[in-house]
Amino acid sequence: MNSFKLVDKLSRLSMKPDSLPQISEGDNLKNQSITTPCKDNSEETISSNIANSYLNILTLIGENPSRQGLEKTPMRAAQALLHFTKGYQENISEIVEGAIFCEDVDDMVIVKDIEMFSLCEHHMVPFFGKVSIGYLPNKKVIGLSKLARLVEMYSRRLQIQERLTVEIANAIMEAIEPRGVGVVIDATHMCMVMRGVEKLNSKTITSAMLGEFRNDPKTRQEFLSLIKN
Amino acid sequence: METKKIKCDKTKENCNGHLQLDFNGNELKIFNGKEISENNKELQTKEISSAYLNIINSIGEDSSRQGLLKTPERAAKAILHFTKGYNETLQEVVKDAIFDENTDELVLVKDIEMFSLCEHHLVPFMGKVSVGYLPNKKVLGLSKIARIVEMYSRRLQVQERLTNQIADALQEILNPRGVAVIVEATHMCMVMRGVEKFNSKTVSSSMRGEFRTNPKTREEFFHLVKSN
Repeated sequence: MNSFKLVDKLSRLSMKPDSLPQISEGDNLKNQSITTPCKDNSEETISSNIANSYLNILTLIGENPSRQGLEKTPMRAAQALLHFTKGYQENISEIVEGAIFCEDVDDMVIVKDIEMFSLCEHHMVPFFGKVSIGYLPNKKVIGLSKLARLVEMYSRRLQIQERLTVEIANAIMEAIEPRGVGVVIDATHMCMVMRGVEKLNSKTITSAMLGEFRNDPKTRQEFLSLIKN
Repeated sequence: METKKIKCDKTKENCNGHLQLDFNGNELKIFNGKEISENNKELQTKEISSAYLNIINSIGEDSSRQGLLKTPERAAKAILHFTKGYNETLQEVVKDAIFDENTDELVLVKDIEMFSLCEHHLVPFMGKVSVGYLPNKKVLGLSKIARIVEMYSRRLQVQERLTNQIADALQEILNPRGVAVIVEATHMCMVMRGVEKFNSKTVSSSMRGEFRTNPKTREEFFHLVKSN
């Protein structure tokens, strides 16, 4: 089972995991030490480990890591990467924090154009864009900013856009059990723009429709037309 | 934590690698950029892949799951692509596309897409470059201007330095009456992390010769760059 689904399941049982899932040892790792990352006391070890790898990369691309501009780059790059992957340390119940309220409303709620920044898991290069979320409440509504925080949690990981879309939809389904959820992501992938096929203006759009958003074309249509500019 | 430096007693041309120590006191072999890419490209890719494999494991991911299996190699090739400018020289890029022309009016190539890597965080910054020059009996093939931008941007850079290097390159090749370069870019290191300002842009410029000394010339350049 995907280790991160396990994290989410545990969180719903109100148990916080003390440590991140076990990492597997990779091949061809001479002179590198792998540590099992723990939430509290080995953050420094993880940072130094990643910084060391970045230091290796700097020398291997032919740069001089002791010049002024690059002296502290390994640490900065390590901190940046940890920030871009901080979503692994978060879980749904921590993010939502009980901001679920009983309301007698059943009309569509939409939060659109939420900025999203993620890392493509195939090339480790950023992809970013906008996320629009809609749901049909079933007597429960969620604090609006929590929708954006859920986007943050799932996007700050190594991702592919298709999976990110589905994970956000599933998370909302789990948190408030609405009559339906719709998520649309419109993003630009630097791995397609900065390298490879180098198509500057291309965008990738993915969607996830659950419940009435999937079953009822009129609901889906209403959602899609409300999120259009 | 600083890396220990060991002095190299060879000249830069004769040096084929010298020792430097990493944070744990282990030896790092440093290669002259040109040499490594000609002789051991495969080894270079393999070593960078190992580094990425370590990074993936350190952030808590499972490097053996399907989506990540070949990511170290892909990421290694990606970063080599983003830093391919180190292996290019001005001579190779421009070749012989310099032509004698009896013209002395402003030549402007604007809105050239630029993608670079911030040398402080190893995160992309990207934007547009506009380059103008006042010929001194010699003009440059237009695409070479864009190729010069590519060469300097495909490196670990700081936007200010990138701007100056493009201007210096044109100055060197053409010896024109003036050169002007404007770079307008968005820095992912400011957008995706840190201060997280989504709409901010950084503009840097480099003015040489008549673009620096003559305000009217400079004004004409800005006006033409802005116009749609």
